Amino acid sequence: MNDIVIDIANLSKRYSLSHQHRPDSLKAWLRAMMRPGGIKLGDQSTEEEFWALKDVNLQVREGECLALIGKNGSGKSTVLKVLARVIPPTSGRVRVRGRVASLLEVGTGFHPELTGRENIFLNGAMLGCREREIRRRFDAMVEFSGVERFLDTPVKHYSSGMYVRLAYAVAAHVDTDILIIDEVLAVGDAEFQKKCQNHLRTALAAGTSAIVVSHSIPTIKTLSSHVAWLREGRLYEAGPIDSDILQRYAAC
Amino acid sequence: MSENRPPTLIIDGSPPTWRSYRRELRAFHEVLRMLIRRDLIVRFRQTYFGLAWLLFKPLMLMAVMSFAFGFLAGFEKSHATPYPLIIFCGVIPWYFFSNSVPDSMNSLLGHMHIIQKTYFPRAIIPIAAVAVDAIEFAIAWLLFALGCIWFGYLPGWQIVFFPLFCLQLLVLCTTIGLWLSVANVQFRDIGNLIPFMLTTGFFLTPVGYTLMRIPEQWQLVYALNPLVGIIEGLRWSLLNGMEGFPLVPVILSLATTLASGLIAVHHFLAVESDLVDLA
Repeated sequence: MNDIVIDIANLSKRYSLSHQHRPDSLKAWLRAMMRPGGIKLGDQSTEEEFWALKDVNLQVREGECLALIGKNGSGKSTVLKVLARVIPPTSGRVRVRGRVASLLEVGTGFHPELTGRENIFLNGAMLGCREREIRRRFDAMVEFSGVERFLDTPVKHYSSGMYVRLAYAVAAHVDTDILIIDEVLAVGDAEFQKKCQNHLRTALAAGTSAIVVSHSIPTIKTLSSHVAWLREGRLYEAGPIDSDILQRYAAC
Repeated sequence: MSENRPPTLIIDGSPPTWRSYRRELRAFHEVLRMLIRRDLIVRFRQTYFGLAWLLFKPLMLMAVMSFAFGFLAGFEKSHATPYPLIIFCGVIPWYFFSNSVPDSMNSLLGHMHIIQKTYFPRAIIPIAAVAVDAIEFAIAWLLFALGCIWFGYLPGWQIVFFPLFCLQLLVLCTTIGLWLSVANVQFRDIGNLIPFMLTTGFFLTPVGYTLMRIPEQWQLVYALNPLVGIIEGLRWSLLNGMEGFPLVPVILSLATTLASGLIAVHHFLAVESDLVDLA
């Protein structure tokens, strides 16, 4: 059953460097209202274009883990942000089948004044999890994080290690079909990182798909089944992990 | 694989439709509940009185207002209705409005760190901000009921319309909140302008006085402020009809609420997915 769960077709993302907003009558009206006589400012068409992504085509099948590689600014994170629906694409489209949990950061929505317990529910909800599901997995999350004793302490008193462990534990136990992961595997100490990787491998083996960004070649080798190399917003090469893409990427 | 697979999602940058957005709101309704709970917890954690503040704040406000308008300004002692009750009918909705507008206006900017990292319908954020203030609003009406008992006053049959006026105020606050929250992301000017407008608005709204104080020829223009119809309607519904049903203000208010609401929701949906790029 190698169904395509993520289908990225001709994905492009443009930014204009002059920080101009899209023309929109209501916005233009508001702007005119806010800045009397300033209407002409927005009409300047001397903006410079920058394509963060240009015609990217990629596919992820069920149970696959696709690693995006490339230099800083090559568009890896932009792909993830579009998949996570944080930013809209300029053109092209993505088809996603299944529930998505985006881990662009661990502990999104964590509030320092809330206790560990309260944050588990808030963060879980933001990852698209029902309270019922969180309750069911609560014990597993707490055990994974190893912060049982401090569950009812506000997280502002946590050490940074405890904080990321709890945050990752929630993310790791969310019931999902597709994981979108941006460098968050590098949290906690070596032991915890190993625990995270093992957990992710188990999830992948069970049919979860993932798309990850990482700069760590060893991590990519242990987790991913496929790799895609991005250069200046374009797809340069893509293939299975055992092809020679990684070697050539490491060499350049 | 999770047991309930959602339908295929298409991400192509087109703005959501009314229908698809309602479905998303339903799917993420627990985020709304969690945000409301978080705000209530955070607001009163490490306070001595805790949730009792929800009661104290409107109580103090009502005490100050009846003192200021009733005793100091000495307005309208001639009314058959106890004067503090007339004032409360203006103060309670105004207090809700003037709190929820800045709260919701700043909500999206204040949650940018979350918006940049994960997706859920962004409308949940300003709606949660309004909802927290609405809880205080509801509690204030309980205090109003106590006030009625204190003055030995019984509202008439008109009270059946009371929930409708509250609903209209809720819709007004929510839609204005949606609109201002995105406008504030695009133009931070809004954040500077609105507090000033609220201060002015207090005097242009029948909070400490009634519509009757406004000269006849100005009443129509005055009633373009949607709060005029709502507050006068609340007074009519709770205070035995006062001086008759304020038909014109209520109709104008419904019209302005509806119009601004439609514009607000339309604008919100149009820019919602662009928020991170606009900020």
